Amino acid sequence: MLSARNVSFAYPTRRGGDRSRAAVRNVSIDVGQGTFIGVLGPNGSGKSTLLKLLGRLLTPDAGTVTLDGRPLGAWPRQAVARRVAMVPQETHPAFDYTVLDLVLMGRYPHLGALAIEGPSDLAIARDALRATGMSAFESRLFSTLSGGEKQRVVIAGALAQQADVLLLDEPTASLDPGHQLEIAALLVELNRTRALGLLLSTHDLNLAASVCHDLVMLSEGMVIGTGPTGDVLTGANIERLYGIRADVRFHPEAGHLTVVPLRHLS
Amino acid sequence: MPPTNGEGVVSARDRIAHSTIQGIRARLVTVCLGSVALALGAIVLAPLAGSTSISLAHAFDLTRPWASNVDAQIFFVARLPRVLAAALVGSALAASGVVFQALLRNPLATPFTLGISSGAALGAMLVLTIGGAFAATTWAAVPAASFAGALAAVSIVYALAAARHRGFSTSVLLLAGVTLNSFFSALILMLQYFADMASVMQTLRWLLGDLDVASYTPIVVALPMLVVAITAFLVLAPRLNLLSVSIDAAAMRGVDVVRTQRISFLSASLATGAAVSIGGPIGFVGIIVPHLVRLIVGPDHRLALPASLGFGAAFLVACDLVGRTVIAPLELPVGIVTAVIGGPFFLWLLVKHAQ
Amino acid sequence: MLNRRIGTRTILAALVIGLTLGLSLQAQTKPSRIISLVPGATEMLFAIGAGPRMVAVSSYDKEPPEVTSLPRVGALIDPDVERILSLKPDLIVVYGSQHDLAQQMGRAGIAHFSYVHGGLPDIFRTIRELSARTGDMEQGERVVKGIEATLADVAKRVAGRPRPKTMIVFGREPGALRNVYASGGYGFLHDVLAIAGGDDVFSDVKRESVQASTELILTRAPEVIVELRADDESAPDPAVWQTLASVPAVRNNRIVLLTGSDLVTAGPRIGQATLRLAKALHPEAF
Repeated sequence: MLSARNVSFAYPTRRGGDRSRAAVRNVSIDVGQGTFIGVLGPNGSGKSTLLKLLGRLLTPDAGTVTLDGRPLGAWPRQAVARRVAMVPQETHPAFDYTVLDLVLMGRYPHLGALAIEGPSDLAIARDALRATGMSAFESRLFSTLSGGEKQRVVIAGALAQQADVLLLDEPTASLDPGHQLEIAALLVELNRTRALGLLLSTHDLNLAASVCHDLVMLSEGMVIGTGPTGDVLTGANIERLYGIRADVRFHPEAGHLTVVPLRHLS
Repeated sequence: MPPTNGEGVVSARDRIAHSTIQGIRARLVTVCLGSVALALGAIVLAPLAGSTSISLAHAFDLTRPWASNVDAQIFFVARLPRVLAAALVGSALAASGVVFQALLRNPLATPFTLGISSGAALGAMLVLTIGGAFAATTWAAVPAASFAGALAAVSIVYALAAARHRGFSTSVLLLAGVTLNSFFSALILMLQYFADMASVMQTLRWLLGDLDVASYTPIVVALPMLVVAITAFLVLAPRLNLLSVSIDAAAMRGVDVVRTQRISFLSASLATGAAVSIGGPIGFVGIIVPHLVRLIVGPDHRLALPASLGFGAAFLVACDLVGRTVIAPLELPVGIVTAVIGGPFFLWLLVKHAQ
Repeated sequence: MLNRRIGTRTILAALVIGLTLGLSLQAQTKPSRIISLVPGATEMLFAIGAGPRMVAVSSYDKEPPEVTSLPRVGALIDPDVERILSLKPDLIVVYGSQHDLAQQMGRAGIAHFSYVHGGLPDIFRTIRELSARTGDMEQGERVVKGIEATLADVAKRVAGRPRPKTMIVFGREPGALRNVYASGGYGFLHDVLAIAGGDDVFSDVKRESVQASTELILTRAPEVIVELRADDESAPDPAVWQTLASVPAVRNNRIVLLTGSDLVTAGPRIGQATLRLAKALHPEAF
């Protein structure tokens, strides 16, 4: 569905663009129905930039991003929004909206010119809240929620968009372990029951190991490894990516690979 | 932090805001009608009161010749234009306040944060201190000059924020606006320093706000601009909702962020410039009313904007009424009334916001 | 033997006598380097003959013509203390509110005169007090008598005539009827108007200036509106009053424009100002 082919992008610098410091270089990636991809990489490796390129927040300097085969730029803005949704790392509304307010905002790409929600929009929003287990919080003020609850609401908002692809930018970075497990379980369920294509950027290796089917390793904007999680998540790759020695082994009770960082390599 | 088990503290606002989830359309209609009713009520009732008691029967008696009908003149020349001006200025400032707060994603922003009022003040001041012969030729000298000053400030700030690859940077906007405020204020002080006492007195008086227009012409001239601006506001409302939550999420939901920000800035500046040209830089309306409105109807801009129009009109009409009656025969400048109400309110807001 | 008697006591006595004589001489010496920060006081000083002894005036001084050649040392908000001190004055006329400046002058050993603004009687009082300080008491008294004579003449001419309700406007926004400032129940404008044969419409408001709203003007319905201008640079625009059709002054076209600083300065020209005002109110009496 959503594909990036050899995309490169560099943030414009004051001196008119020093191309040698590109944020993303020659990256290709495919997000299809039911896929669950984790993008790994250290800080500044281009993960967020890649997500923004896939979400049409940025336009690539080279290469193309296509949705259903057509270049993203050729699609009308709202049409893309009906197919691709983004869950940012943190959401800080400037005003005191309720949970339902925020989830209803996900309906915007589907509304007509007057942008007034109808009963069906309300039903879809409530459905999204149900899917994320947040129905009871409908009338609550977003600002009074915990970190995990907030992320679930934001995911519900993305679900209300009825998009096929969800791009998540470090969704559990600011959450405690309990909430991290919550979100991880939610994502797995959405991926399974709704066949959503999920692309998750993270530097939490254990999260990636627990939920992602495939991994893409990004270092200084370039892909240095891609493939099924089991194949890509090795000690050698982790060393190449993060410069640390780590122990990777299958954890029987967790049911997936776990990564234990051991020490820094000079 | 309240408990997080879903049974945490539920504020009154939680209950009020969504007691009628089913009727979003119904709420919209209610708020719009209520807003219009509030504004109309204020406009109809306010001219009935004043520092002098008049006979309404005489005022509306068409058989009396106009030139000798003091009651009619007080009603139609002194009071009614003043009330209409207050309504227009109040709604313009309140709605602009809402838009600027959404644009800058900050509930403490005001229509004057970005330098518009100091540009307008500089324009007015130039005419009042060194305008001389030109100034006396037309009633429009001071309002036109203050509008020109506002435009100048807006242009500078806009040019800086919309430069090159930036698209539209609200942080540059804020910085430019605040800097321009300081710079223009310094120029104003310099003008006052070199001017004669009479001019200084006039300029200081202008800064306190005055709605005693005594003529329908300024209102008629400003009305088209305000209609354009307010139409833009209402069209922008749903996009402002999305923008105020997250700029990236808004873009991801199909909002043309840069265009929305530009149009918001320009239309709100137009409304503010027109308002300041009529009545001077009347402060606090642009922050008190948006907050009160959000407390009552919630932060959804599709409701907050229409509500702020009506509420802003009624609020300023009421403040002006207080100003022109409380120490009769003297008057309290309307800017002082709004400041006396607004100052403590603003402090309370700051305290509440810090929590 | 004679030399020894001219001893300590004699020398002491001589010293005491000398000092006393010297001090009293100094006290009787007229101030010879006078500075004035108040335009009204400057005019008074020239009128009582102390003009040639002035060394500096305020930034706003325009009358009499002799002041154009004198250096400027600021005014109410911005007195140029350095310049003042460098001119070595022995008397400085300051505003009553300039306490800090007065203290500074005191520390520098410069005598000061505090000018306090008030009504017509205060103008006479100030002329007398000022002339006492400058040693021109005779002249001062002559000036006061002169003004009083002019005022008495005016009063006589307008006596018995109907006194119109008058609004004296001394400031408003140019070209518009906004922020109109009129004379209230206190102050020299009010006193002058009374002598000139008019009734101030704002007599009941115990302030020197009243900001008159449209409603207030319509209610008070003045029969004559006098607009004062300090200079005639800005063109007169009496047409702005036409919207207040019910005001008798507008209906009967009795809107008078008087230009000249004599009308807005509390100084020795107040007599002629009163005369001009009276002529405007009662032209048939002159």
